[in-house]
Amino acid sequence: MTLRPGSLVILITAICACTAPTTSIAEGGPKQVTVYVDSVLAADTNEGMDRRLEPLGKKLHGLFSFTTYSLLHHDAGQTECGKMIAFVLPGGKILHIQPRAIDGDMIAMEIVMFDGTRPMMTTDLKLKNNGTLIVGGPRYEQGMLIITIGASTGAPHDAAAPDAGTPTEAIAH
Amino acid sequence: MSLMLGPFEDGELEPNEMQEVAFHLARCDSCTKALGAYSALGRELRTLTPAPQLAGFSATVIARIDKLPQPIWNRVARFFGRGSDFVGSGFAWSSAVAAVAVVTAVLITPYAEEFASRRLPYASSTLARVEHTATALPEKLAQNATGEAARLAAERDAEAVASSDSHAVISRLESDIPSVAVWSEPRTDTTVIWLPDQP
Repeated sequence: MTLRPGSLVILITAICACTAPTTSIAEGGPKQVTVYVDSVLAADTNEGMDRRLEPLGKKLHGLFSFTTYSLLHHDAGQTECGKMIAFVLPGGKILHIQPRAIDGDMIAMEIVMFDGTRPMMTTDLKLKNNGTLIVGGPRYEQGMLIITIGASTGAPHDAAAPDAGTPTEAIAH
Repeated sequence: MSLMLGPFEDGELEPNEMQEVAFHLARCDSCTKALGAYSALGRELRTLTPAPQLAGFSATVIARIDKLPQPIWNRVARFFGRGSDFVGSGFAWSSAVAAVAVVTAVLITPYAEEFASRRLPYASSTLARVEHTATALPEKLAQNATGEAARLAAERDAEAVASSDSHAVISRLESDIPSVAVWSEPRTDTTVIWLPDQP
């Protein structure tokens, strides 16, 4: 059987047209995003770095010059694009994080931080997969509150308790 | 009626006139003879006129047409027409391959973009706009927090800032805190949003 070039083009185009929706459907499932939130107390009390924060130590020392870093609370949660996840932070602060989309290696999300019921900050950003965003500044006890927010696609890297110190490794790249 | 014989011979009369002349000719010998004379005269004249030499006429006309300015689409069509005549089915096959290449490129483009974004994760951050000048950061910030620091407007709907090597690209930042600061530390690829308490 001979196939004319015109017929060949039509055949290939038809095959591609049938294949493309299949591909997009395969990619179109819910995009799972795991969000990590660490609440750190930074102060000048010369107590050093909390053992559980060692993976973040270099980063914190590179950004700030406090002498004490203490992990107050670690939290992690899994959500999907379009669904908001909330975290309760020390000092009556609340963090709402809603992943919007996954664009290549970047995770688009909206972050709203509340002080009680008052929204302190609203931001839209794209965070690199396994990247870290730090939100800090509010005074807390004898120092300042530093919130590290990490996000990664897929399942949590480690579901261990914060005492083990490992969850922060997921956002310490 | 004699004036109509010439046009009748040449078939130039209206149908009713042709019919009228034809009926008349059937009854009038003189007009029939006159018409015969017209016909004979026409035949004689055609035989006396020499036939023009048409050798090379077509080629000359085509050559003159080729010299006329042609619209660009006509020239393109002619070029491909000649090409298809010359190449034959090869041109058709080339078109088929080109079509497949275009379809393939369209299909793989999302994957290519994803690949490019993985290879160049910071490329998009270069599009970040810096709309506000830097201000003094909190004194407890490390000295090596580079000059990428930028102040965000305290007013609502302020556009945010992202440095060229940040892990985060901020497109919007709203806060009622007047001295919000955003900066990045390239060595640790970390972006910081600083929300100092108001005094």
